[in-house]
Amino acid sequence: MTLNALGLYAIALVLAAAFAAQVLLGELPCPLCLMQRIQYAMLAAGPVLNIRFGPRPSHYAVSLLSAVAGASFAMRQILLHILPGDAGYGSALLGYHYYSWAFIGFAVAIVLIAIMLLFDGQFIGADSDEPAAIGWFGRGAVWLVIALVALNIVSTLLECGFGVCPDNPVNYHLLKLSP
Amino acid sequence: MEFTALFLGLAAVLLVAYFGRRRLALVLFAVTFIASVAIYLHHATDRLQLSF
Repeated sequence: MTLNALGLYAIALVLAAAFAAQVLLGELPCPLCLMQRIQYAMLAAGPVLNIRFGPRPSHYAVSLLSAVAGASFAMRQILLHILPGDAGYGSALLGYHYYSWAFIGFAVAIVLIAIMLLFDGQFIGADSDEPAAIGWFGRGAVWLVIALVALNIVSTLLECGFGVCPDNPVNYHLLKLSP
Repeated sequence: MEFTALFLGLAAVLLVAYFGRRRLALVLFAVTFIASVAIYLHHATDRLQLSF
């Protein structure tokens, strides 16, 4: 359970870093960026289920699907800006744009999930749908991710309003309209 | 609005999973995941300027 909680803290770190870039650098997420954030947050579903109900192959499959989808979305954004002379979208961190880091993160998640699936012993006796008690470390991890998802709900609503999100957002749509 | 809805769906998945409804959480995840892929395919219409 500790490894699942650590995974949730890692996901929270990624989501928080994305927020830091948004708030501190003023770089609002584009639609593809939002899709990658969503897939990072969906990665958390597997660990939360593992913490609550014990490890199951289906819980790892949930995270694996999110990681594969997220890697695909990140790869598309990489390919959109891969031609020589293309400045890319947004700023770079240590030479790589955020979507490149996102792809690396999703690839690492796929490898780590595969490693976790090597250990069959964790699934012995895993047949109950009754929730188990969670310690403070796991509880903190779950609520941290939920809080970051809630922040993303507010942020996305402010950015896009009730219409289509702009391809290159430069301001928060709802705040622009407020008096 | 669709991205806000996806985040809302995801929040529902995590809350349902945490408060102890495993099968419902898995069903909600499936719905949210399929919706996210559909929204991605809807938006990913720009042709990639690649030459191999």
